[in-house]
Amino acid sequence: MAQSVFQFLQAHPLILATVKIVILLLVLAGIVAYLVYMERKVLAFIQARLGPMRVGPWGLLQPVADGIKLLLKEDIIPAGADKWVFLLAPVISVVAAFTVFAVIPFAGNFFITDVNIGILFILAVSSLGIYGIILGGWSSNSHYPLLGALRASAQLVSYEVAAGMAVVGVLLISNSLSMVEIVQNQQKMGTWNIFLQPVAFVIYVIAMLAETNRNPFDLPEAESELTAGFHTEYSGFRFALYFLAEYTNMVLVSCIAVTLFLGGWLRPFPNVRVLDFLRYMPAVALIGAAAFILWLGLKSRVAAERYVFAGLAVLCVLLAGVIAIPPVLAAIQGIFWFFVKVLAFLYAFIWYRGTFPRYRYDQLMNVGWRVMIPLALANVILTAILRYWLSGRHPAALTAWVG
Amino acid sequence: MGIKDLLRKIFLVDLLKGLRLTFSYQRPSATYTEQYPLVRPLVAERYRGAPRLNNNPETGETLCIACNLCALACPETLIVVGWERTEDRKKKLTTFTYDLSRCMFCGLCEDACPVDALELTQDFEIAHYNREGMIWDREMLEQGPQPTRYTR
Amino acid sequence: MPDTTYLDANELVINMGPQHPATHGVLRVKLKLDGEKVLGSEAIIGYLHRGVEKIAENRSYTQFAPYVDRMDYVAAVTNGMGYVEAVEKLLGVEVPPRAQYTRMILAELQRIASHLLWLGTHALDLGAMTPVFYTFREREEILKIMENYCGARLTTHAFRIGGLQYDLYDGFEKEVLKFCDYVGPKMDEYETLLTTNRIWLRRTKGVGVLSGEDAIALGVTGPVLRGSGVRWDIRKVQPYEAYDKVDFIVPIGEQGDTYDRYLVRMQEMRQSVRIIRQGVDRLASGPIMGKVGKIIKPPAAEVYHSIEAPKGELGYFVVSDGSTHPYRVRVRPPSFVNLQALDPMIRGHLVADVVAVIGTLDIVLGEVDR
Repeated sequence: MAQSVFQFLQAHPLILATVKIVILLLVLAGIVAYLVYMERKVLAFIQARLGPMRVGPWGLLQPVADGIKLLLKEDIIPAGADKWVFLLAPVISVVAAFTVFAVIPFAGNFFITDVNIGILFILAVSSLGIYGIILGGWSSNSHYPLLGALRASAQLVSYEVAAGMAVVGVLLISNSLSMVEIVQNQQKMGTWNIFLQPVAFVIYVIAMLAETNRNPFDLPEAESELTAGFHTEYSGFRFALYFLAEYTNMVLVSCIAVTLFLGGWLRPFPNVRVLDFLRYMPAVALIGAAAFILWLGLKSRVAAERYVFAGLAVLCVLLAGVIAIPPVLAAIQGIFWFFVKVLAFLYAFIWYRGTFPRYRYDQLMNVGWRVMIPLALANVILTAILRYWLSGRHPAALTAWVG
Repeated sequence: MGIKDLLRKIFLVDLLKGLRLTFSYQRPSATYTEQYPLVRPLVAERYRGAPRLNNNPETGETLCIACNLCALACPETLIVVGWERTEDRKKKLTTFTYDLSRCMFCGLCEDACPVDALELTQDFEIAHYNREGMIWDREMLEQGPQPTRYTR
Repeated sequence: MPDTTYLDANELVINMGPQHPATHGVLRVKLKLDGEKVLGSEAIIGYLHRGVEKIAENRSYTQFAPYVDRMDYVAAVTNGMGYVEAVEKLLGVEVPPRAQYTRMILAELQRIASHLLWLGTHALDLGAMTPVFYTFREREEILKIMENYCGARLTTHAFRIGGLQYDLYDGFEKEVLKFCDYVGPKMDEYETLLTTNRIWLRRTKGVGVLSGEDAIALGVTGPVLRGSGVRWDIRKVQPYEAYDKVDFIVPIGEQGDTYDRYLVRMQEMRQSVRIIRQGVDRLASGPIMGKVGKIIKPPAAEVYHSIEAPKGELGYFVVSDGSTHPYRVRVRPPSFVNLQALDPMIRGHLVADVVAVIGTLDIVLGEVDR
């Protein structure tokens, strides 16, 4: 039965793509909702407090409550606002953010498509999201959102340049624009790109923070500054769409960073046979999660919560058992490592938000144009020189670089 | 700038030190939250909370001698003491009205009372649904507020 | 033709309304901007005016004491201390040494609490959202000591005319010393997060510079004055309570910018810990109330007495006409006078710096408006 479904899908690639897209959208929406929850919890722990605790055990149903609240809010469109543009602007942001996921490889064969100009597609489509911000600020018919939108878009455009040039450094090593091939190249070289391009990595991370309007570059949307940002006039579900777009962007740039610099779906030291036992990490991680859930649940005062948590822990152990079966283990390897790395990045985003003050706008632009771009340019030049020099000196290395 | 300072600047040492501090704060023992109403706060002994008219523990009669000193001491003049003269020309307390909505909980009435009849207790849950409920009569003052205890 | 004059690029008047997350209360600031640069400003106050000085005319001296706590609601103990000392000056009453030392300890604890709140909110305005939780946690310990001593955390009404109402509770010295040991490493933590952080340095160095002469000309006092390099601390110049018997230094800044004021306040907190330790050391037993009658009726005279509140020079001008009610109580709030320095300090800066400067002046609107 599974075979016939598989063959049907193979025969009709359009339906296969549609099924993949639907699954991806649902999974992403879930991840983004729980990313908001994770942010609130991690930020709370950094600040010596607990975060959401009342809605569901340990506040786990908070995103559900937030979603319902935003859906039920009154839909306000300001008088004099350009109605259709006002309605369209958040949609543009969300669509641009989601579309880029089409070319991101989650594992060796888990991707929607693999265009051979993957990175170009990513840079182009993610830049379209800026339209959503500008149009949102413009159509609000109020000078505070307009100023906020202009500042935000100027910031985004500046840091796109720096991010693009950091990526060029990676391209010089990988010899290909396709995302899948970049990861495969890292596997061939036996090392993640971060060790070969550390400066590009740091530049890309900083540009990532600025691209997604996160601390320390979040002046355009900070509440304690004068202009409350481009989404002042938005409320209810439209605001939720902007919010969704921002968090999806966060996940997106993390995925891109992981693919380009951290070896995508590869496990650490992918070519070293000795560390092959790392294959069992998914099962071990699930058992660890089960132990953690059990420990959390046993501390609760409410009996029902204890049973629920114990049940969840048992479920995790069963799942670990299922995963330990070799074919399942092999299938889940790639996506597990990808997921762990993206999670580390997202955690870092939230960690920075809890630690740093924010840059003033002119200082932000200063950092972008006078520090990031020259550094990125220098990195590109240096990489090109090194590559030429190494390939000239050691012909064997040429094949290693070009593969 | 010396070479050490330059290296510190390039390698973002100051930012990393801050990051290390906030990372270390995520251990559960560093959480400072008190989950009210599941966990009730410990209030000091001298806490100036809701007022109470004390009764003599043996006889059950009120300790108040209707001297009116608390009403005179109050900056907001929100205490009204009603009394009547008994047969042997002694003052007996009849009504005692305390307007909690204007009270500052400054403790001057408690300081003024010569017989420790009026006391500001440790009760802080004195919210009410309407304004009339904030004006306490003698009975309310003797019993104290009875807040609902939540367990979940 | 639609009216597009408001789009003229030369000058724009923007209102930072009374309702704003960063103005520390209901302060309204009208900013005249050229693009993003501030050309001038006007502060409009009065949104929190409650008529405290008028109330004083209708209350007796003891009855008025709880009202003064509500002016600078962040540091209620020092408000009370200033008023009570002014009336004691009128009466010519001598406060016994045990009461003096206790008052000094509580006032220094309150100074630490006020500076902690300032630090948390200042960092929050500039984007660092974690120090506020840490400083409030330390402040919680101080408020617990206050609660144990007098029964209230914020509006303490801790002192009475002539001395103290409550004697120290058992374990006061132990708790205070424990707090002193506890807060030192915590202040090092704040320094780790902020003092050398490059973003913090960029946001505060060179922002809101006020020269020493300008500060004196405007009548600015407190850490703002000391950050501009003027060595003036009322605890040293006109000592009251037991300040002349303890050892402490007065930190001063060099450039008079926001960073210097930040360093001055951090150092003041550490000096306060030093004063508290010495105070606890020298606490002797004895009476806590001076020779004051039951009814307070000072002779017909007037007195001005000022103390070093956490925010600056807090002064009380009490005019007595011989009755139990004061004829006039005029309060000189430090924040009101310091607020005048806002305009000269933000000229030429960007809009985002206005928030930093308001934070560094450490104003409390309850004091400004009374």
